[in-house]
Amino acid sequence: MSIQRRTFLISAAATLAAPALLRAQASPYVMGTLFPMSGSNAEFGAVYLNGVQLALEHIAADKILKREITLKAVDSQGSAQGGAVGMTRLANVDQASYVMIGFTGVSKAAAPIGDRAKVVMVNGGGVGPDLATLSPYFWNVIPLANQEVRAILPFIQSQKFKRVAMIFTEDPSGIAVHQELDKGLPGVGAQLVGAFGVAPTLTQFASVAAQVRDLKPDAVFFASVNGSQVVQIIKQLRDNGISQQIMTYSSGNLPSVSVLPEAEGLVFTGQEADWSAQDPIMKRFADGWRNKYKAEPTTYGLNYYNGAMLFAALAKGLEAAGKDVTGETLLEERRRVKAFPLAGGQVSFAEDGTASTGVQLNQVRSGKIQKIA
Amino acid sequence: MMLTIQLLASGVQTGVLYALTAAGFALIFGATRIFHVAHGASFVLAGYAFIAVTNAGLAWPVATLTAVVVAMAFGALVNICVYRPIQRHEASFFTVFVASFGVVICVQALIQFFFGLGSVVLSSPLTRSSEVMPGLYLAPVFWVAIGVSIVLFTLVTLFLERTNAGLGLRALSENPGLLLAFGLSAPRLSALAFCLGSALVVPGAILSAATTGIEPSASHRIMLISIAASVVGGIGSVRGAALAGLMIGIIENVVVLFLDTQWSEAASFVVLFFFILFRPSGLFGRAVAP
Repeated sequence: MSIQRRTFLISAAATLAAPALLRAQASPYVMGTLFPMSGSNAEFGAVYLNGVQLALEHIAADKILKREITLKAVDSQGSAQGGAVGMTRLANVDQASYVMIGFTGVSKAAAPIGDRAKVVMVNGGGVGPDLATLSPYFWNVIPLANQEVRAILPFIQSQKFKRVAMIFTEDPSGIAVHQELDKGLPGVGAQLVGAFGVAPTLTQFASVAAQVRDLKPDAVFFASVNGSQVVQIIKQLRDNGISQQIMTYSSGNLPSVSVLPEAEGLVFTGQEADWSAQDPIMKRFADGWRNKYKAEPTTYGLNYYNGAMLFAALAKGLEAAGKDVTGETLLEERRRVKAFPLAGGQVSFAEDGTASTGVQLNQVRSGKIQKIA
Repeated sequence: MMLTIQLLASGVQTGVLYALTAAGFALIFGATRIFHVAHGASFVLAGYAFIAVTNAGLAWPVATLTAVVVAMAFGALVNICVYRPIQRHEASFFTVFVASFGVVICVQALIQFFFGLGSVVLSSPLTRSSEVMPGLYLAPVFWVAIGVSIVLFTLVTLFLERTNAGLGLRALSENPGLLLAFGLSAPRLSALAFCLGSALVVPGAILSAATTGIEPSASHRIMLISIAASVVGGIGSVRGAALAGLMIGIIENVVVLFLDTQWSEAASFVVLFFFILFRPSGLFGRAVAP
């Protein structure tokens, strides 16, 4: 009789607890995005988000995880303040354990908040070198400015450019690229003959172009993460008589840049990506992108696709080990596994959370981006 | 020396476009006393309309006409659908201001939806500069901008000073009640002010789309320049706003001779600050008795 009563009590308790347990098990993972979705940087945010959404489709189609992933997209407006406010919301209100983030200034503002809340933050768009040391929870799946600038130096040497002029935005990313270029040019027999810091909101570059032209440089390098500004700089330099080689870093990898007639010949660095590669993961990404967005893929899209796929790989490992998926366990799992099969090949992380990725040199030719080195 | 002349030329090209845009804002404000913040949205809409029609393969006169119609229709619609209902309830200046700001946000979102988030640029041989003398590069668009601005400004001035409707517009801000006595309709004159003021953004919008490109969020900057020029020129003075717009464009470009490039945009607003400080009535404004 007592056994029956005990059995009854256990059964009753289990029955009462079951919905809660089931609810807990079925509650989706929360992935956040903190991208600029409005203002002049919105084009970047759209490309970033496209990468994440494509990955989520693939994760769901493959049934990689036992639970669904809910995407919480917050607009960082591309500003530090937007980054801090957005990260606070994602960490405290949405309870996201994994946030995809972009832009150096946004990342720097959001990282301390994410670090305190133990939220993994994955950057695939900002390139400031100090992003490598923000927090153990801050990971980079994009080559940082120092790697990108190092990659363009051999090109400058091979073209025998001796005098390089620079235009850069007065923000953490632009300043970082300026410092790296200034440091790197003497090593290849060139010098920075002039560097013009501009406000990230500047739209009129005629006066800057006049000053650049006055310096008679062999080439012009510009660094801006403002998508509209990238287009404006290229167009206005060309319109105002700058016929010299124009170079930039990965921010040149935007659809609106490659279709710009004035961008013909633009040389820019970016992480290695071969859209025609036959390895199944890359092929799936490239084909999926073309089908879904009716456009050629971009490396920014690839970075955030990989960032979201990385979450799936980590969470799958944790599910198999019977562990909860939290920021802390995701970090443990990344340190344990070390290398992940993502689009573009095996990606491994350094201890500081920066992924090892190669850098290639691209050129805009006839409206298309072609790898030149 | 040549650099100074080059910067001056760039400043004039930028300035004449600011002048027309600011003159449109001042005309609307001068006649209706409505702080038409959505003037920047008229600019963006006109620019996108021109690009859309051009991309559709139609000739530039058709595209220009479309841009004029879009800008005028937008100005008139905002007046009829937003400002008039608010004013009927005798709402404050700030209510109208906030409503106008809301219109800007809506237009921005709509443009992003239909045209995408990035900037759009119109490639034209008119924007390619060539060396007209050693060290001085000018593009055909420089002469186009100056020519169009002079013609339009002359026409607007003649309209305001020589026609009954123009005189009515000037009277509208002074004494709307008295207009009735002369058989003039204040709502009609308001509509005229919005149509005419909005049409003045078209040259700036088209030439900006060709020279710098245009983006959905550009309206905020246009709005700032228009407000700054109106304050510097004297609130409500079309001539003052135009002159101040020209000054802002020139200062923005020439200031890089003395300051770092990053301060070029801020410089124009420093000028605004000094005007407010030392000449609150602006260049052509009338002092108001306390």
